[in-house]
Order: sequence, then C-alpha cells, then structure tokens
Amino acid sequence: MAEEGQVIACHAVDSWNQQLESANKSDKLVVVDFTASWCGPCRFIAPILADLAKKLPNVLFLKVDVDELKSVAQDWAIEKMPTFIFLKEGSIIDKLFGARKDELQQKIALHSSA
Amino acid sequence: MAASGFEGFEKRLELHFYSDDNDPTVTMGLRLIDFDSLKKVLRVVQCAVVSAVGNHFFDAYVLSESSLFVYPTKIIIKTCGTTQLLKSIRPLIHLANELGLTLCGCRYTRGNFIFPKSQPFPHVNFRQEVVYIEENLPEALCFRKASVMPSKNPSNSWHVFCAGDGDHLSAENTFTVEVCMTELDRVMARKFFKTSHDSSVSKHMTELAGIDNINPRALICDFEFDPCGYSMNGVDGDRYSTIHVTPEDGFSYASFECVGSVYDDQDDIVDTLKKAVQVFKPATVSISTTSLHRREVWTRVSRAMEPFGLKCRSFAMDEFPATGTVVFQTFTSPCRK
Repeated sequence: MAEEGQVIACHAVDSWNQQLESANKSDKLVVVDFTASWCGPCRFIAPILADLAKKLPNVLFLKVDVDELKSVAQDWAIEKMPTFIFLKEGSIIDKLFGARKDELQQKIALHSSA
Repeated sequence: MAASGFEGFEKRLELHFYSDDNDPTVTMGLRLIDFDSLKKVLRVVQCAVVSAVGNHFFDAYVLSESSLFVYPTKIIIKTCGTTQLLKSIRPLIHLANELGLTLCGCRYTRGNFIFPKSQPFPHVNFRQEVVYIEENLPEALCFRKASVMPSKNPSNSWHVFCAGDGDHLSAENTFTVEVCMTELDRVMARKFFKTSHDSSVSKHMTELAGIDNINPRALICDFEFDPCGYSMNGVDGDRYSTIHVTPEDGFSYASFECVGSVYDDQDDIVDTLKKAVQVFKPATVSISTTSLHRREVWTRVSRAMEPFGLKCRSFAMDEFPATGTVVFQTFTSPCRK
C-alpha cells in the first residue's frame, strides 16, 4: 500500500473516522499524533516520528492537526502538544504528553509486541 | 570544594518583543520560528533539545544544558555549564525581525559561578558580558542598567543587566522567582544519580524526590543525565517552572524557578518555595524575585525559608529599566556561615 511506512495526516473528520474504523478491525497498534502548526515541540518530533513510521510499517501512524480537526481535538480533550495516543482494537491503551523521543520509541516497542 | 567540576549556576536571558504593526494580540509570534533555525541558535550556545512540550500559551524545551521557553512575544533561555548563552542574542533578534517582531526589552541575570575560570568568552567576567550584550542590542534599547547585587559573602552575589526602549512595558502582573541552592543534603542529592537504564528513570526521580508535588497541576517534562544530573520543566497554563540539579558532592547545586501572579493567594508562592527547598534541603539558598508591578513579593520569600531554619543573611533591592524591582536575598543555616 502506498501509505504504509508514512504518518497519515487526517484533514477531515470523515477520513479520521474511516482510518480509526479500519484500524479497530485489525489488531494493529495505532499511534495518533495530535499536533499544532504553531507548536515548536511538534516540529521537533515530526522528523523523528516520520522515521519511526518508515521503520515500522506494522504500526499505523495518524496525525491530527488540532486546528483542522477542532471537534476531534475537543472530544479527546487535547491541551498539550504533541499528545500521542496509543490505540488497539478501539481502546486507548496509553498516552504520552510531549516530544520525548526515547519514551515514544519505548512505548511503541512495548505496545506493538504485546 | 572541588578544584573543578560541572558548573550548575545558570546564565539566564529573557528577551521581550513587540509586533511592528503594534498589534497587542500577537497570536503565535516567536512560536512560529522554524525548528531548524532554533536548533542552529542552540548549537551556537552549545546545547540541544532533549524533550519538549507546548500548550495554547507557550512552548517549553528541556535542553542538554537547561531550558528554553518560547512565548509569542517573549523568550527565556537558561543554560548552565560553560555555554555561551549571550551568543544567542543576535540570531534571536534576527529571527524575530523576520516574523515582524522587534526587541523592546532584555534581561540577563546570573549568580556567581562556582568555577569562574572555566567560563569561555564572553562569560569570563560580568564586565565582559555587559560589553558583549550592549554591542548586540539595537540602539532603541537606550535605557540600560547593570548591577552586581551583593550579599555578605563576596562569592555570592546576583548579577543583573536590563535594557528597555522606555516603551512597550509588559502588562503582565506576574513576578519571577529564581532560587539557587548549594550544599545540597547528601541523601537528597543521591536521588539524582542514575541507577538503571529504564525509560522511566527521570519519572522515578521526579516522584521519589517529591518534585511532582510542588505543583500537582503542572505537566512535567523531566530528563535524567548520565551518570547523574536532572532537569525538568513544569507547564501549568501560561506559567512555567523549571528545576536543574547538579548532585555531585563538592559542587552540588540545584535551581528552581517559577512564575507567580500578583493576583494569586499570598500563600501560594510560600507553599511552592517550601516544597521546592524541601526537596533539596540545602545549606545555602539565594533567591531573586523580579516584579514589574508589585514590590512586596519578597516578604513572602523570607516566610518560606523560616521552617528550614534558614536565616536571612542579606537583602538587596534595586530598580531596573523594563524589568521593575529586583530583590536579592541570601539564606544560610545557622551552623554554617
């Protein structure tokens, strides 16, 4: 698939819902990056996340801009950026606040092998 | 006292800007500086971003040698070791100009270096620092003042340089408290030595030392250094707090900095300072409070030190352009001079 190995940006609520639905049906680990264009720390972690996506095609990486998808950001009560939410089979299994490279890698390793 | 070691005492730089079209509601301002440019500035200063987090008010970065806070019209950088912090002034002014922002205020503060001979240009001495800052400030910042605020101990003073354009005064009703602690309690300091290679070592340190209790509302971004040392930024709404620890015996040091509002409950800052000092149980504490609109904040500081048996040994107060009142107090425990 063309989108494997990339961080998929959701620009509309529809595509966001679609991505979640298909991911929930599989047992793939989903990592959602809630990001903002005006937030420096998000720019810091972006290339690191893209690199992880390339190396781990069996994990689904989604990106949600909190201004583009305001309703989604509100529903998920996003206050700090970046916020990483880890999902599996439709449930939130972990969260990470902030651009922390080592912790991000460790959580992905932990949850993708479980 | 060790012959040489890691310099815990930080250099702190705060730059204020206003937007060229005089819009008081600059939305993102400096937060729009692209990360590569920021990285280049930090490289000039010899530090790098280790972790970061942002919210609707500001971005907070934990650096390899301290912290960086970026607000829409204000930048605060605090670095320790032998970093050349002042070299960031010119590139930051340039990056701000590109975003339509002009410098209107500059404040540089630091305590006394434990190892002054290890400092590189332009930090060899305060005179050199002041000359360097002045050379890099635009002429519009024509109200300038440099002062060394003394204590009873000549090797414990507070260096302040402030400059402003006489206009664009901040409307903030906040005050800043900078706490420097030395001769940390050995048992407390040991908590900041790395004992494993888990991902959650820094989180352990934060919890073990009780740092998460200082402001339970704050999101904490912490980092542990190898083989020892600790840094954290706290983010609570539009307020930051930051702690940096050099735990080695012989030159142990910890700093705590936070922001308060003149509208806060009077006891808030007292409680916060008590909790922070409780973490380290130092023998010597020096505290500088800076406030534009209210001078009496410093009285709360003295109250916070009482329960630790720390006696106030000196008091100095002065006024600075674009910054307001700076009060510098030192406290030591009675068994040490």
